Amino acid sequence: MSLLIGEPAVVLAGIGAVLIVVPRDWRVVLFGYALVTVMLSLLLSQVIPAEWALQQVIAGGLVAVMLFMSARQLRTPAHLARPRSQQWPRMASLTTFRGLAVGLAAIGFVAVRESLSLPNISPLFRDAILWLGLMGLMGLALHEEPLHAGLSLLTFLGAAQLIVFTLIQRRMLVGLLQGGQVLLGLAIAYLVLAHGLAPEPEGLAPEPEGLAPKPEGLAPKPEGLAPVPATRDEPDFSVFGGDAP
Amino acid sequence: MIAGPVLLLGLLLVAAVALYVLRRFESLAAILASGLSAVIAVALWRLPLTVPTILAGRPVHLGRPFTWEDISLQVSPASRALLVFLFATAAVTFILAWRTYQGRTFYPFGMLLLAIWGAVVMLQPLTYTPMAIVLAAVLSVFLIQAGKPGETHGAWRQLLYPTLAVPLFLIASWYIDQAPLNPDDQDPYRIAGWLLIAGFVLLLQPAPLHVAFPAVASQAPPVVAAFLWTGGQSVTLFLLQRFLVTYPWLSEAVDSASWLLWLGVLTAVLAGALTSTQRRLGRMVGYAALYDYGILIVALGLRGTAGLPTAIWLLLTRTFSLLTMATGAAAVRHYMASDQFDHIRGAASRLPWAVIALIAGGFGMAGLPLTAQLSSRWALLQLVAENDRRWALLLILGAFGVLIGVVRAGQACFGELKFSPVERAPRALTLIAFLLVAAGVLLGLFPQLLTGPVAAVILPLSILEP
Repeated sequence: MSLLIGEPAVVLAGIGAVLIVVPRDWRVVLFGYALVTVMLSLLLSQVIPAEWALQQVIAGGLVAVMLFMSARQLRTPAHLARPRSQQWPRMASLTTFRGLAVGLAAIGFVAVRESLSLPNISPLFRDAILWLGLMGLMGLALHEEPLHAGLSLLTFLGAAQLIVFTLIQRRMLVGLLQGGQVLLGLAIAYLVLAHGLAPEPEGLAPEPEGLAPKPEGLAPKPEGLAPVPATRDEPDFSVFGGDAP
Repeated sequence: MIAGPVLLLGLLLVAAVALYVLRRFESLAAILASGLSAVIAVALWRLPLTVPTILAGRPVHLGRPFTWEDISLQVSPASRALLVFLFATAAVTFILAWRTYQGRTFYPFGMLLLAIWGAVVMLQPLTYTPMAIVLAAVLSVFLIQAGKPGETHGAWRQLLYPTLAVPLFLIASWYIDQAPLNPDDQDPYRIAGWLLIAGFVLLLQPAPLHVAFPAVASQAPPVVAAFLWTGGQSVTLFLLQRFLVTYPWLSEAVDSASWLLWLGVLTAVLAGALTSTQRRLGRMVGYAALYDYGILIVALGLRGTAGLPTAIWLLLTRTFSLLTMATGAAAVRHYMASDQFDHIRGAASRLPWAVIALIAGGFGMAGLPLTAQLSSRWALLQLVAENDRRWALLLILGAFGVLIGVVRAGQACFGELKFSPVERAPRALTLIAFLLVAAGVLLGLFPQLLTGPVAAVILPLSILEP
């Protein structure tokens, strides 16, 4: 493991960040996040005590597990029966386009890395911070799907942690940031489920044969007083699948 | 001796757990949540900060700090004023939420939100406070999404910007610590100033970072959205004020007053224009609230002897208008087929007081006569005109945009029912809508009723301690 500390860790973290932004497959994306988390932990062990840096792996691992469980819940037979383009995760851009964007970001990275100076930050850390920050922001710009966007946000925060923990070494701060990361992961996992459980977009669902085409606009409701839907706006957290709070 | 912050936060956490258990008995949960919030508001206002008092046989010292490693929590005179405002608003909001069907999980989650906002208000060091704001944003995700599958924009945007702001504050704290080591070098102050301003722009989310507003408005239950805006924005603006008082060099390093004025005017004008073009009730309410928020930022940017009292006055009156408008919108949205203007025709015949509340709240947002906002808005416009008349004109143009949007929404509620027959609003909802409208009109006619509360808040804010 100690062989990885230094340049290999930066390169692997960079590759992990690319895996979060470019591929569509959620398993590859989660693998990329796990890679970034472990490498960040190795890098952080250079500036803060190893036991504090280990918290990064623990927090990242918990986030990865939560996201894995959310993703697994979305792999229902009904969902898998949909055309691939309509399966979760639905992307707002093509993989080729995202790959091209990352390529352009790499050119930008090479162009500006020498001119960027951060206080008390070594050149190795500077490269890691710049690349992870770039990838995080690019992921936030390219993705509206919570899994990719959420992990991009956590990647950006990872870059920020490299700066913050280099400058400030306080146990309380490490604990607060890592705890916050777990809570962010929880919110992201919830949003992944909520987004993934969206009903199939209208017009894309296969029309059952023999049925008359749907009339335009809203169908008139039956006569008499319409029952008031007492739970229309009611938060019930049913996407968690458990007891509604 | 029990320290004030421990008692307050502990009580709120216990209440949140109890309300979560009781969530299926919504009436009971709403009344308990509202009652407890009201009791805490009164207790905070009445109990002395400097001397211990006996509560339930135990000595309690409200002003005593609670310290844990690097962080400490303390109820100061200024933070007490904001806490009283937050709890009083919550007491009203819980009742409104109960009668407008905003969801039964709102009560426990609302209590947790109050605990987090309370922690933000009491927390030291200041540079750690954005982390607590992120915690509040994480909790807001569950309230905004409200268990509905599908669109997640509102919840995601609510979470994104505060999270991005946290590193900026932490790096700024390092520069602030470095600055005294070399007093001749002003660079650390300048860099810290820019980092803090950038962080506050992300926390305040003025235009063009306002994207969370319409998304939250269209996705979240309206009264819940109004609660999130009222509480979240007042806490963030209070935090900004604490930063400006604690770090006096901040105003000089980056001319924060000028930034706030520009951002506030831009937000108000853009929001006013966008309010007039909306075709959905939720988004219209969102943009009207954004316009009002822009006005509040302008008031804080004015600073000086009159700027701060006007900002506090605006904060109080906008809460009335916002809650009135949100209650009307929530009732219409609940009983009609959807909140699209095309689908709410006939709402006025079945839900007359809800529609009146919607229109009266909207008029309040625009600052029209006979509404709570009139006097505070006029005071602000006079102050702005003293600086630059063009800015005042731009703010009035924004108000016209809000007015057009509200008139269009009100107009859409009239006529014959377009879709299914709709149940009449229950009496309790009618009574609540009537009371809100009447309170707004009363404050519009007698604005001096708020002189006492505003004066009570200004004094502690003027001696705000780091």
